[in-house]
Amino acid sequence: MSDFHLVRRADFSIRRLIICYAVGILISLGIGALLLSGLGINPFEYYKRMLTMGLIGNRYAYKCIEGLLKIFVPLLITSLALGLAFKMRFWNIGGEGEFLIGSICAAIVAFNSGSMPKIVTITLMCLAASLSAGIIGLAVAALKVRFNTNETLMTLMLNYIMLYLIRYLGSTKAPWNFFLNPESERPIFGQFADNCKMGGIKIGNFTLLYSVIAAIIITVIIYVYLKYTKQGYEISVVGDSSATAKYAGMKVGKIVLRTMFISAALIGLASGLATATAGTISESITNNAGWTGIIVAWLAKLSVPAIFVTTLLISVLQYGCQAAATQYPAIDSNFADLLQGIILFSVLAADFVATFKIARKGGQEK
Amino acid sequence: MINVITMFLFNIVVYNIALLYGTTGEIMIEKSGSLNLGVEGTMAIGAVCGYIAACRTNSLFVGVLVAFLTAGLTGLVFAFLTVTLQANQNVTGLTITTFGVAFYYFIGNGLSNSKGGWPKLNDTTLADQFRDVEIPLLSKIPILGKGLFSHNILVYLGIAIAVLMWAYFAKTMPGLKLRAIGENPGAADSAGINVTRMKYIHIIIGSGIMGIGGLYMGLNMGGTFEGSNCWINGYGWIAIALVIFANWNPAKALLGTLIFGFFNTLRVYNATIAYNFPNTLGWLNKIPAQFFSALPFIITLLVLIITSISKKNSSNEPASIGRNYYREDR
Repeated sequence: MSDFHLVRRADFSIRRLIICYAVGILISLGIGALLLSGLGINPFEYYKRMLTMGLIGNRYAYKCIEGLLKIFVPLLITSLALGLAFKMRFWNIGGEGEFLIGSICAAIVAFNSGSMPKIVTITLMCLAASLSAGIIGLAVAALKVRFNTNETLMTLMLNYIMLYLIRYLGSTKAPWNFFLNPESERPIFGQFADNCKMGGIKIGNFTLLYSVIAAIIITVIIYVYLKYTKQGYEISVVGDSSATAKYAGMKVGKIVLRTMFISAALIGLASGLATATAGTISESITNNAGWTGIIVAWLAKLSVPAIFVTTLLISVLQYGCQAAATQYPAIDSNFADLLQGIILFSVLAADFVATFKIARKGGQEK
Repeated sequence: MINVITMFLFNIVVYNIALLYGTTGEIMIEKSGSLNLGVEGTMAIGAVCGYIAACRTNSLFVGVLVAFLTAGLTGLVFAFLTVTLQANQNVTGLTITTFGVAFYYFIGNGLSNSKGGWPKLNDTTLADQFRDVEIPLLSKIPILGKGLFSHNILVYLGIAIAVLMWAYFAKTMPGLKLRAIGENPGAADSAGINVTRMKYIHIIIGSGIMGIGGLYMGLNMGGTFEGSNCWINGYGWIAIALVIFANWNPAKALLGTLIFGFFNTLRVYNATIAYNFPNTLGWLNKIPAQFFSALPFIITLLVLIITSISKKNSSNEPASIGRNYYREDR
């Protein structure tokens, strides 16, 4: 090894990157196929079932698309929000916690909404969710800016504090606890009234939820925000080097506070939409979006269009595994996580091949 | 009533020693300057592989060895990606957790649905090897003896690892070198230390130790596989919190395990205790169990904030933690 050393490639080629990624994903699917064969399952049949999500020859195919979109929407917004913070080199790994607190606050609105019209309640739910999550994010950012507290570990701890908070609400029978279903002996979360449930546009049998439209609008806004506004430019400068940003006269602290607030508030918004769509809360409302979002944002190299595509692919993977699980009892939906992990490992390796090259020491460098 | 105290002490140790394994393993990795958020997944991989190996061979020793090796292999993946390939540590670690827990379910569900079924622990020679061993003399102390000095062999191994690791960091040359790398890898490199090799070795050993902790969790649960609940059950995350609480010191990790274990056990036993001592401790019943579960994370959050606010820098956090070392950037 001592004769060789690593050199960053001077030229960046998008073609090389895509080829490396494609090879990486193929290798991951190959490893997955080996594992499946180990259990005596034909991997081709499984993959076919997974990737088609049981759509083919299914009279209720529109239900599959609706189910897929229910995974897609929160994951998309969460990944975009996390990407925003990561771009600034701010390690917001508290997506789960921010999602949960948002969900709790949306539920507070929903359970006390009385008979307000649907558009008002859902707007208020999303607002409450965004604000509560945003405030948590702001507090973390303030500690980071003022005292340089480690934000990775802080947000990590908050994830679990929020998880136990929602567990507490879900398992404590008390007169004050309006979250629970009053008719049930066992503590279970209540259902929202109809004026708190997400509506949509009917297209034949298929219902296109308004949350899907909201998610697409948000994607476009974030794309424009990052690419064409001064604030978006500031985020990338702070991410590249906060010293440079300081010399350029930017108020780094203010940028960090603002971006982290937006990041956490967006996760809250995702949570508000998901909570209204589900029509109830639970500790599994996040569907691991806070964790998966980190993988998505990283796989997509924090680029907005790539996050959109990656989220779609990961949602197909997750929903497909759920759909295939009905056919293959030995493999539950955790197989999606397994594949996701292997894919990220190979993509991280592919990333390396695309950005570094091995050069001989003393040899001529091109 | 005396029995309650003895039981309480016994349970603090027996249900929480896995935390000590996770924590000491993570301390070793963090001392080399890497933050591995994959503790939960590494423990899950070590647990499932070690348990199956132990049941197949009926040997606890083989189980421990396999748990160490498979978890060490996971550590090798982390080291290869972050040290050699310069991948981001947070993302790699979190992916190891996602992957590891999914791997646990994959193997578990696969075996449960196969012809042989999931291997059982009951009434095997393996269960016999995992029985409690009393330390002569010490275990005869009233109240404390049964609680603290009558445990299975893996409890003693975990404590031995913590003590040895403390001595390794504090008293030996390689330990000193490792700390130097964690503080400033560039300077350590200039001083002729092979940074890459040291990082690899310690990430692999640290991960291996976590794996033994995972196996311990599985054996302690009686080895039953449930499709909905992972054996590790969040202990990996508490271990990451405990590293901060213990201020990156394996000896303090021992103490921290007892403190966090105290809360864990209180969560399970608060009703029993409130019943046995109604006059003095009756109020315990009013505290919700979820509060005790959240307490390790709340305390760690406070420790993080307070140590960063206090002017006096008393934290032993390795300075280069979380950042990859790329020699050409030096």
